[in-house]
Amino acid sequence: MLAVEYFEVECPEPLGAEYYKQIANDVLLDHNLLKVVNKLHIYIDPKIPVFIAVGILRKITTVVRVGDFTNVNPQEGKMTLVLSDETYLAPMLKIFWQRFGKEKVEQPDRFTVILYDVPAQPKEIEEIVVADPSESVHKDLIYAFRCIAPEGFRLRSEIFTGSKFIFVASENTLAEDISTLVAEKFALMGEVPP
Amino acid sequence: MTLVPVTYKGGIYQHDIVVDLIDDLGGYIIQKHILAQEVVLQCFVPREDIELIREISRPLFGEVTDSPLVGTEIAIVSMSLEIHHLPHPSCDIAEYTRRLGAKTNMVSLARGPGKRIAGLNDEERDVINEHDIAVYLLGNFETCIEYKMPTLRRGIDVPIVLCGGPDIDVLKKIIDPPVEGYMGNVGRFMRRTKEADQLDKLDEIVAEITRVLEKKRDEIAKDPLSVSPARLMGLIREKIPEILDVTSPTPLTVQMAGLRVKLPYDTFAERLRHVEIEDGILLGDISEVLPSRMRDYILVRVLPFSETNTVI
Repeated sequence: MLAVEYFEVECPEPLGAEYYKQIANDVLLDHNLLKVVNKLHIYIDPKIPVFIAVGILRKITTVVRVGDFTNVNPQEGKMTLVLSDETYLAPMLKIFWQRFGKEKVEQPDRFTVILYDVPAQPKEIEEIVVADPSESVHKDLIYAFRCIAPEGFRLRSEIFTGSKFIFVASENTLAEDISTLVAEKFALMGEVPP
Repeated sequence: MTLVPVTYKGGIYQHDIVVDLIDDLGGYIIQKHILAQEVVLQCFVPREDIELIREISRPLFGEVTDSPLVGTEIAIVSMSLEIHHLPHPSCDIAEYTRRLGAKTNMVSLARGPGKRIAGLNDEERDVINEHDIAVYLLGNFETCIEYKMPTLRRGIDVPIVLCGGPDIDVLKKIIDPPVEGYMGNVGRFMRRTKEADQLDKLDEIVAEITRVLEKKRDEIAKDPLSVSPARLMGLIREKIPEILDVTSPTPLTVQMAGLRVKLPYDTFAERLRHVEIEDGILLGDISEVLPSRMRDYILVRVLPFSETNTVI
């Protein structure tokens, strides 16, 4: 939990809070989301019942570029790309096809891509942006919170802005003044709601 | 002669010696697994002959261990089939109990989760009642357990072992009328049970299930069954050979006071009732042959001595 600056689970039942802290930790760890969460406050009251998760996200500024996972070797009339990780292979090929055409891109095996007579410098190729992990982070977080929240809580309200998020769930209709409760939880972290 | 449930583990080489021996001693083999070079037999054997089996199987490197859960069918009642409860803890507990000889079925409720919205329908209730014991796996909050437990146990007449997140004393306090067994600090969790302390917890659950089952066994012993379900099992296998073609892992599932026969009720119920056990006594005379709520299986409930006046 070192990466998260603030992480609290608040609940009228202390033992329940302890279990849910463990669950939240396990789920976020499993989904590889601990590195994007900076502050997280979860409030659960089984009496109402309501589940609130509010927090601050860390900015993900890094985008994945071709150079991050390939080694570009310029040769006579062609360029050989040696991949160290094939996670982003598919989006990379798609970009190459669009930009240079399929006839100029060849992939002899899983870890090699050869470009023939492409009108670009090796430096340029290395700089091509392949993926932006921040695009799917909100979707992943919502899925993770659905796993963390008690299962019967199926009425949900989710607000995910750039760096702040609110996830409220209950099995009853959400109260109209839920935003005051949410604001209180933000105040505990020393923040204001979005 | 008291039959006790044991598990035999040994090599496949000459294991038929052990199988024949158990047969000759008057024991019954409930389940036989052959896994590569290993054989696991779950059986009932006479208490006084366990040493003899140990003696004879020693040259074959066989191992005989007590397993009180052999010959029982347990319902693991999970609140839903969502990722929230599966595979941990529901599957972990079901699998661990199965390892010790029980036949566990996971009963997942259609509307189990939540507090106000939780419910149990008639099919679920009947399926749970077909088992020897029901293990309820509930969540982490005492408020929810207290609120939903009366709904979830409505109509259930088999002993219940309740597993929940709060401490065992809290569980005992909030459940009224009390259930037969409690296990605290086992609520919802999202990690695999593989550490030593988590495995100890699973052992505690098994111990609690065993305690409740022993109590039920003692009660059955006060008014003994007309025939041992394990004996019926052998008999059915002999008289209704179609059961051998059933591909289910346990075509005949032995329970404490009955048997689940995995054949269609409409086709086989009459034939089953007319299976002769001994001296003209038919299976239908000393037991009830009922349609099971689980698929179209047959459920045989052996009647006690007080109702039939016969013990075979």
